[in-house]
Amino acid sequence: MSDKEILLSTDKICKEFTKSDGMKFTACKDVSLNLYRGETLGLVGESGCGKSTFVRTIMGLHPADSGKIFFKGEDITRLSGEKRRAMAKHIQMIFQDPSTAFNPKMRIRDIICEPLRNFAKVSDKEAEARAVALLEQVELAPEIALRYPHELSGGQRQRVGIARALILEPEVIICDEATSALDVSVQDSIAKLLAKLQREKGVSYIFICHDLGLVSLISHRVAVMQNGQIVEELAGDKIAQAQHPYTKKLLSSVFSVKKRA
Amino acid sequence: MLLDVKNLSIAYQGKPTVSNVNFDLSAGEIMAIVGESGSGKTSVIRAILGCLSGNGQVAGGQINFGGRDIAHLSNKEWLSIRGKDIAMIFQDSGNMLNPVQTIGKQFVEYLQLHSSMSKREAAEKACSLLLRMNLPDPQRVMESHAFELSGGMRQRVGIAMALAFAPKLLLADEPTSALDVTTQAQIVDELMQVVHEAGSAMIIVTHNIGVAAHMADKIMVMAGGKVVEYGSTADVIERPQAEYTQALLRAVPEIGGTRYVG
Repeated sequence: MSDKEILLSTDKICKEFTKSDGMKFTACKDVSLNLYRGETLGLVGESGCGKSTFVRTIMGLHPADSGKIFFKGEDITRLSGEKRRAMAKHIQMIFQDPSTAFNPKMRIRDIICEPLRNFAKVSDKEAEARAVALLEQVELAPEIALRYPHELSGGQRQRVGIARALILEPEVIICDEATSALDVSVQDSIAKLLAKLQREKGVSYIFICHDLGLVSLISHRVAVMQNGQIVEELAGDKIAQAQHPYTKKLLSSVFSVKKRA
Repeated sequence: MLLDVKNLSIAYQGKPTVSNVNFDLSAGEIMAIVGESGSGKTSVIRAILGCLSGNGQVAGGQINFGGRDIAHLSNKEWLSIRGKDIAMIFQDSGNMLNPVQTIGKQFVEYLQLHSSMSKREAAEKACSLLLRMNLPDPQRVMESHAFELSGGMRQRVGIAMALAFAPKLLLADEPTSALDVTTQAQIVDELMQVVHEAGSAMIIVTHNIGVAAHMADKIMVMAGGKVVEYGSTADVIERPQAEYTQALLRAVPEIGGTRYVG
């Protein structure tokens, strides 16, 4: 991977929150990671270890206390206003449950095209055409463009979430537990779809997930996070050779179907 | 035989949803029901506990528990069985607990409802049950409200309550699905140990096939309201007959399995 272009990198990101009792809580401590073009970087760890805080800092949803974030070499740590808005063209996000991320009163067509409309004037006709083209890419029927989110199944909604993330043709997509709420067979199909889109478009993913099995199969590299710090970085196919005690603990917690046999 | 379910059918608003479910369970046995959302697995265990939600009802068949058909008991008859002979553990025990009462108050109330314990005896019993679920400082847990506990702690409280009367049959609906992997691993092992000690039989509903394979003696696979496969865990996992089970097992991501990316 080292010969590839570094798309996104973070340098010692720190983020502290003040709890209601005035105590400081360190969510991220000196997090330095690189994301290469066309690569999937898995991020694993328990609830509260700082995974989501870290990616939200990259998205600019809450500013880092210290440290720097670079996108293609440009410092994007403290972007604001128009520059921050323009950054959304390059980095998009997919959430765990799109039903809470979507406006329930908008048709799928408008949900998919909303990011586009934030940057350009798009007629309804053109929006529909774009939406249908994207629905095709995420393997959904074109009729869905005119439906509402509640009419779709969880797997279909997640595909719409992916279509929405794709419309601006971003270079980085952050998936925050994007498949965790889905059944295994649906999860399998979404994972295959994400991998296919990566091959076709060369998009990079940061894939947050607590299922070590899935993370190891979908990621080129996996970063393990504990109490706000990256404790180990491994190749996805070498996750079983982890050295750090925390990674080993996570691995031993996996209930494998095959291990029994 | 403790539980014998024959030709069980369940309908919601007259619409048949689950049909022809047959299985049996002996004392001390653990069975897992696996399947995707909407396959009817939760309906089956809710029917056994006589608490189908909304307009659901048992449309046909028998649920023989200890030699007695419990499919059509009245609410009054249920009172002496539910919570005592048959108990349930929910996905998030936080939703089962009263948010404005301390854990201790509701735990004591529950114990007194099914026994003639004094308040002090009940409180002592509750503490010892919490301690057995590896909750350090049970006194503090008793004085807490549900929201003050972590998800893992709440689930341990739910399991401690369900096991209070060493029920003959324990039903568990996705008991570890809302938990972190490490907490899940601990609770799965604790659950197996306490169930074994209490001599209870257990039905666990889960979509995590790894957990099912680890815990259960036998597995029932459901899809679209029907049983597609039922057999010993070894048979279902190693030699699945139904095409659906084979596809389901293939979809489980395993470390060292087929990679999605190069």
